[in-house]
Amino acid sequence: MIRLTGRFRSALIIGLQGIRARKMRTFLSMISLFLGVLAVVTVQAGAEAARTLNLANVELQTGKDGTRMMYVPPIGSAVDVAMTTIKDQPGVAASFQIQAIIGEPKVRPINPGAAPFDRLNEYSRETAYEMHCDESDGCRPVPIDKGAVAPPGAAIEVALIAVVNDIRQFRPFRPVAGNWLEFSDKPSYSPRIVINKAAAVGFGRYRIPAEMRLDGATANPTPRIIGIIDDGQDQPTAYARIDEINNWLPQQTASDTTAVVAAGGPEGGRPMAMNNGPGLQVMLAPTAGETESLLTRKLIAAGVPREALDVHVNDARKRIEQMLTIMRWIFLGMAMLVLLIGVAGILNVGLATVGERVEEFALRRAVGTPRILLAGIVLAETLLTGLLTAGAAIGVAAAGVNLGIRILGDRVPQLHDMGFPWQAGVAGVIAGLIAGLLGGSIPAIRAARIPIATVMRA
Amino acid sequence: MRPIIELAGITKTLKGQQRPRTILDGVDLTVCEGDSVAILGRSGSGKSTLLSLIGLFDRPDSGTYVMGGRDLARISERRAAALRSAEFGFVFQRFFLLKHLTAAQNVAMALVNGQGWLPRRKRRARVLEALDQVGIAHLAKNHPTRLSGGEQQRVAIARALVRGPRMLLADEPTGALDTETGNLVIEVLRAATDRGCGLILVTHDQAHAAKMQRVLRLVDGALRPAVLEPA
Repeated sequence: MIRLTGRFRSALIIGLQGIRARKMRTFLSMISLFLGVLAVVTVQAGAEAARTLNLANVELQTGKDGTRMMYVPPIGSAVDVAMTTIKDQPGVAASFQIQAIIGEPKVRPINPGAAPFDRLNEYSRETAYEMHCDESDGCRPVPIDKGAVAPPGAAIEVALIAVVNDIRQFRPFRPVAGNWLEFSDKPSYSPRIVINKAAAVGFGRYRIPAEMRLDGATANPTPRIIGIIDDGQDQPTAYARIDEINNWLPQQTASDTTAVVAAGGPEGGRPMAMNNGPGLQVMLAPTAGETESLLTRKLIAAGVPREALDVHVNDARKRIEQMLTIMRWIFLGMAMLVLLIGVAGILNVGLATVGERVEEFALRRAVGTPRILLAGIVLAETLLTGLLTAGAAIGVAAAGVNLGIRILGDRVPQLHDMGFPWQAGVAGVIAGLIAGLLGGSIPAIRAARIPIATVMRA
Repeated sequence: MRPIIELAGITKTLKGQQRPRTILDGVDLTVCEGDSVAILGRSGSGKSTLLSLIGLFDRPDSGTYVMGGRDLARISERRAAALRSAEFGFVFQRFFLLKHLTAAQNVAMALVNGQGWLPRRKRRARVLEALDQVGIAHLAKNHPTRLSGGEQQRVAIARALVRGPRMLLADEPTGALDTETGNLVIEVLRAATDRGCGLILVTHDQAHAAKMQRVLRLVDGALRPAVLEPA
């Protein structure tokens, strides 16, 4: 151990002396290596940034990675049982989605079908359709008789998501303005709603009266918009407490409820199997095992078949990893090619340096330096050069990332949560060390093989 | 006095481009503590080859080479490196000082060689002691380019002495120096033998050889007592 430490320290000291004695050569080696290491760091940083941004977007839309999703079909009292069971329980939330039109009554909304306001032309049709669902073949668009189509007016259609408990523990919405829903007080007859940015575009562009039509409701409530959030959705969407919405919905919705689509059932976007009103999408944290078990038992007791209660785990991270892995390897391959060119540079400089230092190495052997330490000295120099280059490349990349965040931060708010990914730093250090190892190995072997008698013949 | 090295029947054949050439053919040599031996011989007679065998740079083809009761003729390179570090000090005609290091750092090279580890303070003390032995401790921080030839060779001798070797091997150490400086270097080497160190001096200079206790000549691959011509 002492010998190893002594050799390691000796290699380090002599390596540093060598670098100090040949600053220009070290600098040239660093330049040849710099682009390669920078390429590796950039690819890694880019991949991490893409993963983070994608994950943030996917989590906004579908829920955090690892969230357990259970779809409760509207069979009998299953939805009511589920809502009662999970109400105020930690690590669990639920939602259902219905269509709502806010604005003048009995008019056709500006964006039929809750179409995004920037793409109204794509959604405008000569013939109006509405969704019809039945037990035989699920939901399908059915043309509406022209005479039955209401005249256009000042109204906006939104996808209304009614929530039990704070859904933000699973979908980390970014606040834009105002407040989020308050769950601790009593429900109001004037439903408080939080709209997303896509809906806010419509409310900012048009003057809309405060009256809300809910699918299946017999009377129109007066909503209060209390905040705006970014939920990553293009579709105008509003969020409200389920109890404030339920005040306005009948106990049993009609069997031919129109335009009702489950908010992403199991496997994401499976049409609602039952058409007896909207089902409930329950989200459970992995830690909420007891609640999940209790809920399952109660639902089965309420008549829901066990096979209808499958739990789907949100594997957003895995899906994104799979999506990005191929791209990452392609770019890393290209970066490695650039790195190899840098390695060739180090190799070239290293061989030239060993050629110049033949006498020094022979002399070192003469004074008792083992061959392995001579190789270690050369490797220490190239590894230190690789590390210095990695440090420089990481510094430049980190500065670039910070600059990018400053410039693009306003347009891409997710960037504000990002810093320079540590994985990119590690990749840079590894790339620098590998380049130093590859570029220094052949010169090291040559140095170790220098015949000791060189000093005698000189 | 106790012998440091004992060579008996050493042979060495060099593989030339056309045919092998036997350069050492039955060399016998014993060097004791405090002994100083000069080896004379014409160019190509095998003086440096003999020195490289004694210094474990190379191995003999046959014969025995005993040091401390152990035959070193077939020793491994790893063990040879350790022995070179611990038991031998080398002085060459060219000083082989590294220009980017100071005199002290050049001397410390023999201590920072992977054979054990000395803390910086102890290392510095040993280096200054060695430089003091050759009378140039005050030049410790100077780079070789700022030293005269004699001073550079004394730095090289300090490097050879810093580990306290039992054998000093000097291969024409005065070859690149003027007579006066050469004499000074020989005196420094002789002084080392006063401390019990063995010395083998390979030289062409009969005057320097005459200052050694024994003078041998390498003729036809074997060592024979030399008769020095009167000055």
